Amino acid sequence: MKTNNKLLVLFAMMALLLIVTACSNSANGEETESTEKTDTTDASSSSQDDSTDNSTGKTEAVFWHAMSGAGQESLEQIVHNFNESQDKYTITPEFQGSYEEALTKFRSVGGTNDAPAIIQTFEVGTKYMIDSGFIQPVQTFIDEEGYDVSKLEKNILNYYTVDDKLYSMPFNSSTPVMLYNKDAFKEVGLDPEKAPQTFAEIKEAAEKLTKKNGGATERYGFSILNYGWFFEELVATQGGMYVNNENGRSDNATEATFNGEEGLRVFEMINDMNKAGTYGNFGSNWDDIRAAFQTGKTAMYLDSSAGVANTIETAPFDVGVAYIPYSEEAERHGVIIGGASLWMSKGINEEKQKAAWEFMKYLQTPESQAKWHVDTGYFAINPAAYEEDLVKEKWEKYPELKVTVEQLQATKPSPATQGALISVFPESRQQVVTSMENLLQGTDPQEALDRAAKETNRVMEQAARANQ
Amino acid sequence: MRWVKKGLVYIILSIAALLIFFPILYAFLISFMTGGELLQGNIFPERFHLENYQKAFDRLPLAHYLLNSLIISLSVMLGQLVVSAMAAYAFVFIPFKGRTLLFFIFISTMMIPWEATMIPNFMTIQKLDWINTYQGLTVPFFAIAFGTFLLRQHFKTIPKELHEASEVAGLSKFRFFIKVVLPYCKTSLVTLGAYGFLTTWNMYLWPLLATNNDSVRTVQIGLKQLQTQEMATEWGVVMAGVIVVIIPTLILLFLGQKQLQKGLAQGALK
Amino acid sequence: MKSQVELNGMLDNVVKKKKGIWQQSLNWRTALLYLLPSLILFSVFLFYPMGKTLYLSFFLTDRQGEANVFVGLENYLYLLESEAFLKSIKATILFVLYTVPTGIIISLFLALLANEKLKGIGFFRTIFASTMGISVAASSVVWLFLFHPSVGFLNKIIASLGGQGVDWLLDPKWALLSVSITTIWMNIGFTFLIILGGIQNIDEHLYESAKIDGAGYFYQLRRITIPMLSPTLFFVITVSLINAFQTFGQVDILTQGGPSESTNLIVYSIYREAFVNYQFGTASAQSIFLFLCILVVTILQFKFGEKKVHYQ
Repeated sequence: MKTNNKLLVLFAMMALLLIVTACSNSANGEETESTEKTDTTDASSSSQDDSTDNSTGKTEAVFWHAMSGAGQESLEQIVHNFNESQDKYTITPEFQGSYEEALTKFRSVGGTNDAPAIIQTFEVGTKYMIDSGFIQPVQTFIDEEGYDVSKLEKNILNYYTVDDKLYSMPFNSSTPVMLYNKDAFKEVGLDPEKAPQTFAEIKEAAEKLTKKNGGATERYGFSILNYGWFFEELVATQGGMYVNNENGRSDNATEATFNGEEGLRVFEMINDMNKAGTYGNFGSNWDDIRAAFQTGKTAMYLDSSAGVANTIETAPFDVGVAYIPYSEEAERHGVIIGGASLWMSKGINEEKQKAAWEFMKYLQTPESQAKWHVDTGYFAINPAAYEEDLVKEKWEKYPELKVTVEQLQATKPSPATQGALISVFPESRQQVVTSMENLLQGTDPQEALDRAAKETNRVMEQAARANQ
Repeated sequence: MRWVKKGLVYIILSIAALLIFFPILYAFLISFMTGGELLQGNIFPERFHLENYQKAFDRLPLAHYLLNSLIISLSVMLGQLVVSAMAAYAFVFIPFKGRTLLFFIFISTMMIPWEATMIPNFMTIQKLDWINTYQGLTVPFFAIAFGTFLLRQHFKTIPKELHEASEVAGLSKFRFFIKVVLPYCKTSLVTLGAYGFLTTWNMYLWPLLATNNDSVRTVQIGLKQLQTQEMATEWGVVMAGVIVVIIPTLILLFLGQKQLQKGLAQGALK
Repeated sequence: MKSQVELNGMLDNVVKKKKGIWQQSLNWRTALLYLLPSLILFSVFLFYPMGKTLYLSFFLTDRQGEANVFVGLENYLYLLESEAFLKSIKATILFVLYTVPTGIIISLFLALLANEKLKGIGFFRTIFASTMGISVAASSVVWLFLFHPSVGFLNKIIASLGGQGVDWLLDPKWALLSVSITTIWMNIGFTFLIILGGIQNIDEHLYESAKIDGAGYFYQLRRITIPMLSPTLFFVITVSLINAFQTFGQVDILTQGGPSESTNLIVYSIYREAFVNYQFGTASAQSIFLFLCILVVTILQFKFGEKKVHYQ
């Protein structure tokens, strides 16, 4: 029976291994575990409202975000400033990967005590969040407190306002702009102060700007990132709808309409230039298309307003910033806001919601917004921030940044520029990207668009069925 | 003639080495470049400034991430070795009913794509309250059919006579396992250990899901945090992060390679 | 895991009852003890989720990811006629074909080279094994930069040789190949080291007697090295195949499945269905499909492959 005795020892060793890992963990996770502790107290005594941490007397609220790189740095500083500014609440920022990854996680904890107090979600997740039932519209707090939202940028609020209710607090907001190489404009005899504005003008300018060397193209005239957002913007600026029912804002969208004439014009413009060899394809990676522009491989391209300052700084030539182009057959309507907003969880302790709300308000102060705008290039949601010295200094250095704000403020509010509401938007965007790529490989514009529309309809229908 | 042959081998070796090592070298050089330099596509930086490294360390608790990666990878490695060796032993040396069937079931788990089980597993971990813990990142990976398979292949090469002799000598099953089987199959244990360590070190999606904060996060997540979507990525900083992340494993490999190779080379002869 | 008390109880039982069924099933019980850790872990972390996946594959899931509407085989039928899914299968098969044989042949070649007894060979071995120490995330980032359309090193080289730059990751014709190159590079380290170990395990006497018979290098390679290496090669092929079928990280960083879905490998496609589209039903159906694919390949491999393997 010696065998089994020894076996026992081995089992004991395994158990030990487990315990050791568990112990070393709790030692390591000490600082962070306080979050969980507060959570458990919530569960047992949420009615008594004593979620405060005993040692400090502060309420801690967790903030899930998807900001990496410089954005994360700036965000953490702002949170730190908030925590220092008062002694009742502590906000703990926690990075959760990309927007998709953060949202997937939220789906499984939403509505429970494990949910974070605040979660940052991309603009295309808006409809999903509203329908999820996991969130508390910030309008509740605005009404309760009589908080004045009129000081915030109207055109940004419009996106997140559904049925006259502001659901989430706008946070990192951006719009597309067109950047162009002024030196190249001069070189080919175009006026560097007057950027082409319509699709036809773009085509014409691109023709001139394209530089060929034998069989190889040294410089393309125009480029767009293979990212659905730019297509949405080019449709909206012509006043076109992405889906039916007023872009899904009067009632749940049931059918894609982006394959209508406005969408087709966009695809045809790309197709024409691609066929003529004046359109450069630099893929779906933000950094790739920027590098292409900065190294002179493309003379004009669409970028996010958040990337403008950096591009101007690194480009070895003069950079011009202009509004995104529109079709000469339509009127210019303006741009849809992109980026992400902050959502408040429902079903968590009230004190935590309060902490989250206080933090959201703090974010809207001109000082925080000025810092955020300067650090990241995202818009200030509170236009008063543009009067801060910090911003003025930056604008003096990069006067082109003003163009991005002007374009946003010149936008005509309408369902088209408010942006579409679809629960399956991320998937639809993905489909549009595939269609754009197919287009560049020679698929017929209408056929490519119809394919994306068909797929969008299918997933919309499926989602409707799945959530009956 | 011999000299010519030798020279030729050296030349091929050098070319191959250069090709293989180049990407690492390239990352190393880029990690010293500023944004502008990078765009010019130079290979050598103008001067070796360390700003990028400074930024990478300022931004993230990289040392802490590295330690976590090490703890997690080592735990998974050990766990896999113990669990797989036990299972493989049973499959080879204990004749029991249904052995073939059970082995087949084991092997079939090898085909289950981990991504397919991720979401249910995430919910399990959550119910166990293992979010943000080392066990949440390690225990699910302890059992690995591949390890059982690998060790079984090797255990099978142990001569029958050895088993019989040990039984005659009155060696218990467990003793035979510890004293004979495991030393005999050192090679495979080393291989499996290296494999387990590396796959764990490489994991990204699971550690991201199973953690909410920095306490037990690993370096791979750190790398992702250095890259951005809409804003401009500072490639110099990212490459500095890459270098910081790969240096510990490379050092481990350089130090352990002799051992690893010895382990791989010995084996059957003992 | 069983508690100590229970185990002790079991041991006591073993001591007391020496005869009967209890005795007969001794082997079975001993085996169970050895297999218990694996069985428990498999049940919790593989069989249960797989069962759940199978279950979900017959449903549409709601916003919380719970099964909501039973649709029978609809998810599967949809997949079979979905162009995107067929493309993804095709890409996966191509990817396996590109990476597995090439990777193994290159590694075998390097291992044979590195097996030569030369001065400083240790240095070369270290270099060849080095990619093993670099994670998927790190190497993908580096290669992303090498492939860069404007400032990438590969295109710079081509341009300086007078050629026209290649759209490595942007052209659907090239993208899968580029991802494969990255993958092969990443796998070389591990495969190389294993094969080198295998070669060094081969009995020297075999070569010596072959030399006496006057056999040339390639004859030795074909008649001694490869057959004696077959268990190692079998192992390496199995690992490479499974890894190739389950590739995710490279695709996520390099191409996100594009352009025109040419690199949308099946695991990435599952990820997208679950994380972007939030449809666990179709994602689950894809997972089951992938499971079946790997199952068939592995059975075939064991059936035909293992026969050819020489065990020493």
